[in-house]
Amino acid sequence: MINLKIQTTRFGPVSIEADKIFDMPQGMPGFPGRQRFVLLPHRENSPFCWYQSTQEPALAFVITNPLWFKPDYHVELAAMLKELSWEADIVTDCLKLYVIVNIPPGAPEKMTANLIGPLLLNCRRYQAVQMLMADSPYSHRQPLLSH
Amino acid sequence: MLIITRKLGERITIGDDIVVSLLDIKGGQVRIGIDAPKHVSIHREEIYDKIRSENRVSASVDAADLRRAATILNRHCEQTSRSCHSDQGDQFENTND
Repeated sequence: MINLKIQTTRFGPVSIEADKIFDMPQGMPGFPGRQRFVLLPHRENSPFCWYQSTQEPALAFVITNPLWFKPDYHVELAAMLKELSWEADIVTDCLKLYVIVNIPPGAPEKMTANLIGPLLLNCRRYQAVQMLMADSPYSHRQPLLSH
Repeated sequence: MLIITRKLGERITIGDDIVVSLLDIKGGQVRIGIDAPKHVSIHREEIYDKIRSENRVSASVDAADLRRAATILNRHCEQTSRSCHSDQGDQFENTND
């Protein structure tokens, strides 16, 4: 196991395992050339994770499992898995779907999740892709707190 | 911008490995087929723009705001008896110093 030290703006230097870096060949819209990320757990009892770029210290997304606040969230994966040749990975339980969370500065109660651009992570290949869902019934700013 | 006139069924090649086919024209709508390598992402512009701008605003979340958000959520979930603790991340966890 090879450990690497990466620089991050939010957490300072962080030690990561070299073989646990997710490669995103298609990158993420808005961040060309940023294709390598690691998952950093937030803290105990937090439903969030950080998805930290290993290439740009300041670049990190907050992500979460959408199912706890949107139990009926459904993403059609078949075409994407075929395109990526990941079909065999679905049975190995190595595919995880996350959504990106936005928290407006100073207003955590107004946090939203982007349900039309989920992240699909493959922990067997350590590859990831951001899916862009056309014709989706979901919002790109779904509030996390329902009142 | 290069502007090309094409008839139905004709194609355009871009570089060595991208082919655009004009499949159908009906009313004000055009159906286009695109063959491209896997690493080339193809999306409708309006979806791409929406996700790009949402990615950009989401990339600058403050760590203190996230701590407060997690606290608010945990409280909210206790009040509504919902489970906010998923098993996410278990297979991926990195050990931090």
